Amino acid sequence: MTAILELDSLTRVFGGLKAVDNVSTKVSEGELCGLIGPNGAGKTTLFNLISGFTPPSSGDVRFKGESITGLPVHKIAHKGMSRTFQNLRVFPNMTVFDNISVGALGMIGVSPFSSIWGGKAKAKEISERSWEMLEKVGLTAHADDLAANLSYGKRKYLEIARALAMNPDLLILDEPAAGMNDSETAELAQFITDLNKTGLTIMLVEHDMGLVMGICQRLVVLASGQKIADDVPSKVRQDPAVLEAYLGGDD
Amino acid sequence: MSKPLLIKLLLLVIVFAVVPLALEGFGKGYYYQIATLAFVFMLLAASLHLVTGVAGLLHLGHASLYGVGAYVAALLGSKYGIGFTIGLPLAGLGAAFVAFLVALPTMRLMSIYFAVATLGIGQMLFLVFQNWVGLTNGPNGVMLFDGIDLFGVAINSELGIYYVVAAVSAVSILILNRLSHSYYGNALRSLREDDQCTAAMGINVTVMKIQAFVISAFFAGIAGALWAYTTGYISPNDFNFSQSILILTMVVVGGLGSLPGVLIGALLLILLPEVLRYFGDIRNIIVGLLMFGAILFLPKGLFGEVNALNFARRLLGSAWSEDNSEKGIGWK
Repeated sequence: MTAILELDSLTRVFGGLKAVDNVSTKVSEGELCGLIGPNGAGKTTLFNLISGFTPPSSGDVRFKGESITGLPVHKIAHKGMSRTFQNLRVFPNMTVFDNISVGALGMIGVSPFSSIWGGKAKAKEISERSWEMLEKVGLTAHADDLAANLSYGKRKYLEIARALAMNPDLLILDEPAAGMNDSETAELAQFITDLNKTGLTIMLVEHDMGLVMGICQRLVVLASGQKIADDVPSKVRQDPAVLEAYLGGDD
Repeated sequence: MSKPLLIKLLLLVIVFAVVPLALEGFGKGYYYQIATLAFVFMLLAASLHLVTGVAGLLHLGHASLYGVGAYVAALLGSKYGIGFTIGLPLAGLGAAFVAFLVALPTMRLMSIYFAVATLGIGQMLFLVFQNWVGLTNGPNGVMLFDGIDLFGVAINSELGIYYVVAAVSAVSILILNRLSHSYYGNALRSLREDDQCTAAMGINVTVMKIQAFVISAFFAGIAGALWAYTTGYISPNDFNFSQSILILTMVVVGGLGSLPGVLIGALLLILLPEVLRYFGDIRNIIVGLLMFGAILFLPKGLFGEVNALNFARRLLGSAWSEDNSEKGIGWK
């Protein structure tokens, strides 16, 4: 399988702290890859390095064989990478439908001129794609509600739908199950697995070990910014370095 | 007849038949002046709405860009004999150009810093109007003796001038309506909500902000030209900070993000002081109290954004009625 995403000795230093320290790994096309690690391990920083929110101090990110290091966030998005955020960033004062449309319109493109005159074909395409995503996450009944009025769990799905409306080749989910109960997490796990089965490559940061162990084909484990394991879940589960990082050693 | 068509026809009849008939009935220049002032400020409020209401950038210097348009039109007319037909678009372009120059360095600033930067731009331009005597004639202002001509035809009657002002404002507001009630408007709204997140959707945030600022300035410039041509005299104080605040108040009282709201806000703040003229100087206090009450009891504005967007989608027909939802929620 070809690698869609390659990280090459990625390092990010904040002041004296090495938040991400020399991390290299690859994500193959069609893979569902988990990124785990204790609090403060540098998971979110690594995601920010990949999606362009934070420039790396050194190292290289290659996406579809092309270096994207240092590109602005919106250009990386146009290459086919889409992400959600750890602390739920939907647009609260916009309707659910309008939220999703922003994902679609960024890729399809809008301009002031086309919105004044002659942009109907594009507008139709944006409408249809947004509606399709709305159906995919089962929020059609809420299309017209303000995002701020949705329940927490539904807002999580809204954020995923907005990211999917970008029609990405790689979807990065930052702690999608945070704040969810067990049955909601199980439902989400099924949803993510189904998405992956459609051929979408997914990278997932998660605290919930049950979720990542159950659905990911491969796990990358970070501790104090360093990669300490990179293998199938069954092997990672028994890796002494991982156990030590999570449980604080044998003693 | 469909509802959207009916409402649009009704608005057309009011603007182009009922109001001019009433003004002719009163038969006094004073009422025509107020009508012109109302259109100019509706256009100013609608253009500020795009930047502050939709894109969420607090802009404290809008009146100075309105002033650039007015000075461009007045100086081209009085010094170079360039008439209304060409002066009007040039006034818009002049204001847009100045806005573009100041937007380049300021658009990376966040929230309150952006507001302070626009405050500075407003003061700077005001000082240019006031002190660059060689160009702007300083505090004495500029007289513009030429009336409005349309492609060589002089428009002399008050009714004719009303129609020109109403038509130019209406077309401008229609364009602003398309910009704010479309997917382009959605993109601007997402900037207001969370611009980092918007960038992750593949949208060039800086370019979008500059666009909104420049387009808004263009229409402020158009409003300036209308003002210069209808009053025949402009001076720096027409474009000072308190005018910027007046326009901002219209936008906030009407409803941030709500185009119909800001039009109502502009009408209210122009007409109310005139209607209350009977009360003498107390009227300013009454207007102040009404504004205070409006913000206190209707913090989302007289016609809030949520209702305004529903109104635009369903009653103005800005949404697909044939989309899968059958409710018409996707913009045309």
